[in-house]
Amino acid sequence: MSADPAPVVLVSGASGGVGRGIALACGQAGWTVWIAARRREAGEAVAAEVDAAGGQGRYVECDVAQHGSVRDALDALKARDGRLDGLVHNATSGLSPKPVRLAETPLAELRDHLAVSFRGSFLLARAAHALLAESRGALLLLTSEAGFEGKALLSPYAGVKAAQRGMARALAREWGPDGIRVNCLAPLAASPAMTRAFELEPAMAGRVLGRNPLGRLGDAVTDIGGAARFLLSEDARYVTGHTLMVDGGSCQVT
Amino acid sequence: MDPLLIGTPCEVVEDLSRALGASFAPIPSLADEAGFERWRAGAADEASHERVVVAAWSPQPAPAPLLELDDTHWQQRGEDPLLVWNAALGYAIGRCRDGGALVAVVEAPAALDSAGWVPEAGVAEAVAALTRSLALSEGPRGVRANTVTTPARLTTGAVVDPQPPLTNFPGKLEDEVVGAVRMLLSPEAAGITGCALAADCGRTW
Repeated sequence: MSADPAPVVLVSGASGGVGRGIALACGQAGWTVWIAARRREAGEAVAAEVDAAGGQGRYVECDVAQHGSVRDALDALKARDGRLDGLVHNATSGLSPKPVRLAETPLAELRDHLAVSFRGSFLLARAAHALLAESRGALLLLTSEAGFEGKALLSPYAGVKAAQRGMARALAREWGPDGIRVNCLAPLAASPAMTRAFELEPAMAGRVLGRNPLGRLGDAVTDIGGAARFLLSEDARYVTGHTLMVDGGSCQVT
Repeated sequence: MDPLLIGTPCEVVEDLSRALGASFAPIPSLADEAGFERWRAGAADEASHERVVVAAWSPQPAPAPLLELDDTHWQQRGEDPLLVWNAALGYAIGRCRDGGALVAVVEAPAALDSAGWVPEAGVAEAVAALTRSLALSEGPRGVRANTVTTPARLTTGAVVDPQPPLTNFPGKLEDEVVGAVRMLLSPEAAGITGCALAADCGRTW
C-alpha cells in the first residue's frame, strides 16, 4: 500500500459491530473508507461517522454473496476514487450466533453461512484483484477463534471461519508475486453479534471471558480496528499469509 | 476393528475403505436434495459403530489460480464440497457409538504448495474446525473426533523448495494415510481428540 495519497479501503459488513470499528479506525487515520453493506441507512450513518473521525466515508450497497452486487460495488469505488489499497471482508451470516448442532443444521442455513463467508471471500477477492495489484495493496479476511478451535454449538460458523483461514494462506502464496498481501484477523469484540450470542446461550459469556487473561471483550474501534488498520497499512508490508489473533489472549490455539 | 467409512462413492474412497477393512456407506448425491435430506435425517435409524471414518471427497481436481475460477467452478470446488462435508460429519457423528472415535480424512494442499488450491485449502481447514467442533460437542459422551489431512491426490511432488524431510512425499493413501487413521481410531489414541494430523511426510507442521 502506498503511503501517499491517503489509502482507500473497502470494508464489507461495516454498517455495525466490528466492521464499523474497522471503518472508524481507518477514518481516524484520514483514510477513505467505503462502507459496503446491505443496510443503506445504517451504512450511510457509519460513513458519516468516518467523516466525523477525520476520514472520507462513502456508502455502497453490497450483498457479498451476489456476484453482480460485488462487481457493482467495486465498479462504483473505481469510478469515484480510482484506486483501492485494502479490502476487508468482515460480513458474516446473520445466523452466525445461532446455537445449533451440526447434524441438526438445515441445508438452507449451511448454505447461508457458506454464501456470505466463503463465497463472499471469493467474490470480493476476485473482483478486487486488479485494483489491489495496481496499488500493491492488502486483502484482509475477518475470521474467528472458532476457525481455530471449533465451537460445539456454532459448528457451521466455525467451519466457514476456518475456510477463510485456509483460503488466505493459499491466496497469500498465489498473489504474493502480484504484490498483494493476504491476511486474516481473528477478533474477540463486543458487538451486536456477540451480544446476541450471549442472549441465545447465557453460559457462553462465562466461557468466553473466563479464559481471557485481559478479562474483557475488545473494543471494536480501538482494539480491533487499530489492529486491522495495521494489517492494511505499510507497517505490515512484510506480513502475509498470517492470522492475527486480536482476542485478549483467549484462544488456546495459535 | 471393523470401522464404518462414510464417503463419496468413487474408486479412490472405496479403495481407502478397503484398505481400512471398513464397511462402506456411500454419501448420496447432493443433486437429489430430497434424497440427501432423507439420508441426513436417517442416521439414528442406522446401526451405530465404534469407529467411524468420513471421506467426502470431490472428483479429482486440478490446480487453478483463483482468477481462473468462475462462479460455477467455485461452487463445484468450494461451496458444494464444504456443504457435503458439513452434512456428512453431522450424519457420521450420529452413527458413532458412545465412547467411539471418528476420523475425517480430507484432502489438503500443504501450505507451501497451496497456490492454485484456494478452494481446497479452505475446505480442508474448515473440515478440521468442524471435526474439532464435534470433539467439543461429543466429548461428554466419550467420543473422540480427529482429522487426517493428505495431499496425496493433489500433488506428485513439492512445488517449492525446500523439499519435505521424508522422500516418500506426498505419501500413499493405502500406506501413510491409512496408518494415521488407524492410529487415531485405536485405543492407543484414547487421549487424542480435536487433533488435525498432517499425514504428509513432514511437509506441514
